[in-house]
Amino acid sequence: MITVRIPTPLRPMTGGKSEVEGTGASIGELIEQLNATHPGLKDRICDEQGEIRRFINVYLNEEDIRFLTGKDTPVKDGDEVSIVPAIAGGSHD
Amino acid sequence: MLSIPSEIWEDMIEHARLLDPHECCGILAGRDTVMTEHYRITNILAKMSDAELARFDQAKLSDLTQLSPEERADIAFQMDAQEMSQAQKDIRQKGLTLKAFYHSHTFSPARPSTTDITIAMEFESYREKLNIPEPVHVIISLQDKMNPIIRAYRIQHSTATEVPVERR
Repeated sequence: MITVRIPTPLRPMTGGKSEVEGTGASIGELIEQLNATHPGLKDRICDEQGEIRRFINVYLNEEDIRFLTGKDTPVKDGDEVSIVPAIAGGSHD
Repeated sequence: MLSIPSEIWEDMIEHARLLDPHECCGILAGRDTVMTEHYRITNILAKMSDAELARFDQAKLSDLTQLSPEERADIAFQMDAQEMSQAQKDIRQKGLTLKAFYHSHTFSPARPSTTDITIAMEFESYREKLNIPEPVHVIISLQDKMNPIIRAYRIQHSTATEVPVERR
């Protein structure tokens, strides 16, 4: 199984869980499988073209998948995938 | 303590002024307390559609339905994730450490807002697992356009504590 860390804004879709487990041979397959278990998750992570949204980084262990082979990056049992929103902020309260 | 060379200090202010009234954002890197590199990162908020924002609204801007994407960028920022990763990669390759995230407040003082603190705490929950050191949060205020103010903060346990900054 692959452990996937879920950021707070997406936890309503995972029943509040900060980590879920998934399967797949690649990041793309993993996202599809997670979406089957937690419908709507893919739409939050990927844009209309199926690419990772421009405000989200997906890390395999400690490496951004954009520097590996993107959604084709192979994954295996025991890997940890983190879905991390890029830093944001604002001047409003 | 954060020691910022004059050229980086001035460039952060120039970046803030260039995007004013939008907020700017970026990353500082260095060794120990001395900053040696900085990276301007695109604030993509002005380019994010309502639909996109509704899917992932870190800065809780969807409640402000009267604002256009351009107006949202006046009061908030969202770093481009790819540019942020590229900067992190460059920092690693140069043997430096990511030391700080910076952004501007174009109408308000140089102190973290509730939104800044909430999002910083969210980032805190991941960063150790990703082997990212604790960042300082630098804010450039253009509230007084003629006298920009730069201050820095540690944000821990939902509390911001000022960190001294030195221009060198």
